[in-house]
Amino acid sequence: MSVSNKKGLDYWLPKLVVSPTVAITVIFFYGFVIWTAVLSFTKSRILPQYEFVGFDQYVRLFLNDRWMGALTNLLVFGVLFIAICMIVGLIMAVLLDQNIRAEGALRTIYLYPMALSFIVTGTVWKWLLNPTVGIERFIRSLGWDSFTFDWIIDPNMAIYTIVIAGVWQASGFVMAIFLAGLRGIDTSIIKAAQLDGASLFSVYTRIIIPSMRPVFFSAFIMLAHIAIKSFDLIIALTGGGPGNSTDVPAIFMYQFSFQRGQLGMGAASAIIMLMTVLAILVPYLYSELRTPKNG
Amino acid sequence: MAELNIDNVYKSFGETHILKGINLSIQDGEFVILVGPSGCGKSTLLNCIAGLEEVTDGRIVIGKDDVTHAAPKDRDIAMVFQSYALYPNMNVRKNIAFGLEIRKMPKEEIDAEVHRVAKLLQIEPLLDRKPSQLSGGQRQRVAMGRALARRPKTYLFDEPLSNLDAKLRVEMRTEMKKLHQRLGTTIVYVTHDQIEAMTLADRIAVMKGGVVQQFGTPQEVYDDPANIFVAGFMGSPSMNFLNCEVTESGGNYAVQVDSEGRIFQLPIDPKQADLSQYLGKTVILGIRPEQITHVMPHVEAEPFVTKVPVKIEVTEPTGADTLVLARINDQECECRVHPTEAGKPGEMMEMLFNMSKAVFFDPETEERL
Repeated sequence: MSVSNKKGLDYWLPKLVVSPTVAITVIFFYGFVIWTAVLSFTKSRILPQYEFVGFDQYVRLFLNDRWMGALTNLLVFGVLFIAICMIVGLIMAVLLDQNIRAEGALRTIYLYPMALSFIVTGTVWKWLLNPTVGIERFIRSLGWDSFTFDWIIDPNMAIYTIVIAGVWQASGFVMAIFLAGLRGIDTSIIKAAQLDGASLFSVYTRIIIPSMRPVFFSAFIMLAHIAIKSFDLIIALTGGGPGNSTDVPAIFMYQFSFQRGQLGMGAASAIIMLMTVLAILVPYLYSELRTPKNG
Repeated sequence: MAELNIDNVYKSFGETHILKGINLSIQDGEFVILVGPSGCGKSTLLNCIAGLEEVTDGRIVIGKDDVTHAAPKDRDIAMVFQSYALYPNMNVRKNIAFGLEIRKMPKEEIDAEVHRVAKLLQIEPLLDRKPSQLSGGQRQRVAMGRALARRPKTYLFDEPLSNLDAKLRVEMRTEMKKLHQRLGTTIVYVTHDQIEAMTLADRIAVMKGGVVQQFGTPQEVYDDPANIFVAGFMGSPSMNFLNCEVTESGGNYAVQVDSEGRIFQLPIDPKQADLSQYLGKTVILGIRPEQITHVMPHVEAEPFVTKVPVKIEVTEPTGADTLVLARINDQECECRVHPTEAGKPGEMMEMLFNMSKAVFFDPETEERL
């Protein structure tokens, strides 16, 4: 066998092995993103067609009350979900960081919700929050007859039940991120601060938490894209109801594209969501990629 | 400024006993170095002095105050850590000021203090930088600045130079010594580097296995080691240890060495040791490489100097001297000769054994005789 032949195989084999993945990614990921973008500029209704109408679908989208309602819900859900997850996650991480016994087991328990599908979380919380079978009934059966906890059937409050379920699922994960961040801090910094006379509380509030800014940022990014893309949790928990009170862009997109024969407008809403995610991700990636320069 | 007394301190973690009865009496303004191999308990002792670890038994007294159970912040000490432990989220100015802010010092005084310290350590241009933008040496200075700002009674240094490259380490060592001379405060300094210990310390405490082996000035520790461990740990290249039989020659005791089948008697300075109990028995001769040299006429005539031809196994030039590894009594023995005098491996070379500073150890207890 000639040497050049061998070299040729060495050269081609890695490319050969990787190429199916690359092809799949290019076609089904980037290809369909581009197709969606193209469709969002067409008059497509129930089936794709290619009569281009410029930004008409976007204009229609933002004149649609349901879309604006979905955006408002996303804002409420997103802000509360991210904020509460971060606060709960941080508190749990700080408490778990105090050299406690059985930390490994506790950490696993807190992380387990993340292992569940959002559909499972949604279903379980639907039962828990259901006034006739869940928490309300349980408390009433203990004797508090007037206890009411019916947010899930209250159009004004239903969005908050999604926050509850979302926080339950994601805060353990946020805790793990924060815990890793806390562990990354040199313990002699804490000792130095103790010698400087700082209390444990001010060690955390003035030194450790401020120096975890990159960790906060990562947690925020992950939670933000979970929030923007949230679909399955809401479908399982409230189905977007009562009425359209827990509608979010992802549900809007699904229903308009595939159930109401408004493929063009659905595509436009999908592109808006993509842009929202990108608007968060791009600055993040930019800052991540240029950090090594700062050392 | 104050003296520091460590009184019979024990520290155990469960069944693991780290410190086994440490007694050190450190005078006001003294620069004391705790030196020893990894795991000897030196850092634990420092943490106990700082209050970061609670002692299991014993007392720590700074000045007139028994601080054994006081919180770290109430001991009036400052510490510089090996990793520098700068607060990563604060710039240099804030890092230095943090301890003062916590102590509720007025704003103007803090500013004045930060500037005094920055000037002292020449870090004024760095005040607005973050620790991540500083080099190792600069971080080291900031860490020292943070310690200096509080003007504590005692400074503790935990291997402060070990993260620096070799050249910078030598520079910082000199600076540290100058700083101590200027400030005149009590310093307890932990290192595993015996050269650092020799060059910096007023007194050295050599530790091993949670016990202070010897506490004395660098010269005492070097010339007059308490046991084989101290003798072998201090000095580089380290002392030669040769098992030798004690004999008597001309009313003087001597040790007998064998070089390539020829027997030589090395007379012993009676000031160094009384070996009357060991006549005919084996002792360990401790002799430093610089006491085995090439033949120099002015040394040859001195008492307790013996000429011995040895066979060269390996030579190691260091520039200033060449280290010659020879075989004596079938054991390796390092000699320090002038580079131009050094022979080649395999050759015989005449060496002068100067016994006036030789020390002797019991082979059983490894204690000094």
